[in-house]
Amino acid sequence: MAHNYLHRTPLPRLFLISSGRETHVDGSLLTEQLKQIPRSMDCMVQIREKQLDAKQLFLLSLKAAAIASSTKIRLLINERADIALAAALQGVHLPEKSCPPDKLRPFAQELIIGCSVHSPESALSAEQSGADYLLFGPVFDTPSKRKYGPPQGVNKLGTICRSTSLPVFAVGGITPKNIKECKSAGAYGAAGISIFENDARFAANLEQFYNALYQ
Amino acid sequence: MIPSSPFLCVITDEVECPLSLAEKALRGGASMIQLRHKTACSNQLFSWAVKITTLCKEYGALSIINDRLDIALASGADGVHLGQQDLPASAARKILGKSRIIGVSTSSAHEALQAESDGADYIGFGHIYPTHSKVKEFNPLGPETLRSVAALVSLPIIAIGGITIENASLVIRHGATGIAVISAISRAEDPLNATQELVKSIKQGNTHE
Repeated sequence: MAHNYLHRTPLPRLFLISSGRETHVDGSLLTEQLKQIPRSMDCMVQIREKQLDAKQLFLLSLKAAAIASSTKIRLLINERADIALAAALQGVHLPEKSCPPDKLRPFAQELIIGCSVHSPESALSAEQSGADYLLFGPVFDTPSKRKYGPPQGVNKLGTICRSTSLPVFAVGGITPKNIKECKSAGAYGAAGISIFENDARFAANLEQFYNALYQ
Repeated sequence: MIPSSPFLCVITDEVECPLSLAEKALRGGASMIQLRHKTACSNQLFSWAVKITTLCKEYGALSIINDRLDIALASGADGVHLGQQDLPASAARKILGKSRIIGVSTSSAHEALQAESDGADYIGFGHIYPTHSKVKEFNPLGPETLRSVAALVSLPIIAIGGITIENASLVIRHGATGIAVISAISRAEDPLNATQELVKSIKQGNTHE
């Protein structure tokens, strides 16, 4: 079963989050960038395009899945486990106020289910609810996350990592230079939105991120 | 599973708490509740869905979730209602299996036939009359269009859009199996009473036939 394969295999350490700038599903930014990811590069990519409706998300997911099928990319979608299943993606990423993982698991056994957490309490409840990984941030200052308040910092990242046995991905202002700090604090991996935002340097940024994570 | 005699479906909105509205609608005789709330976070939606589904079971009514198959599956609801901008019914069917209800919003014969071939269990059709519940891009379809679509498709049709106690029985006589309303109940001074009145006039539509 796909489920066993996915859950026995360690998660990739590199986690990319889409730009949120998709306006249509044809010739999209996301699919063009997915094509640039080396076939052997182990990574997760989250489709996070809140401005698209469910039908557009489904069509975009189908396109992305077709590109990812011959690679080591594991595709996840933000929040919508139903679209993940419909498009045969590998997982779903749940914002903090989502339907809990244990309510989704009965019909989504094969999916990787990850949770955004902002406190040790929500990390604990996500773990008890059967999440496969946690995403914590913003660790560093980043323009896209300023509306969610000040950066949480590396110390708090460490607190979250010590409070759970799940892999924790650091997000928010992550660069190849500060990945080492995150790893020292206990982070399993790192997530970046900004990688997808700089079209011209996408491939080069990706490689730097990947190398820093696996150093 | 869809009632075969004329029935009322009450759709929740952002004006009134969905749970409290569903309870009043069920007490008033609604046979189907559609949980629709476009701004709530999904743990809130899930929690409403669970409670509304429990209530619907008590009243022998159906609980339907707008757009979100994940919430429908997680909560054990009876089915989903899909708009033209939601997951296609054919994709939804693969996930939901045969036991759950799939409804599809349509506003033309073409969309209605497509929904039927995609495996829908019922179609929503409208808007029949002018309505302020949603911003509309086209004119009301009117009861005659409803009649022509009802002749084309074999699925039950739930008519929507500006339906009131005055015109409900006419809409039923033009081929609708059910009537769906949003603001007629949610913005009524007394939603329970408004539901009772609407259910009564729907049943009258049946007897006139």
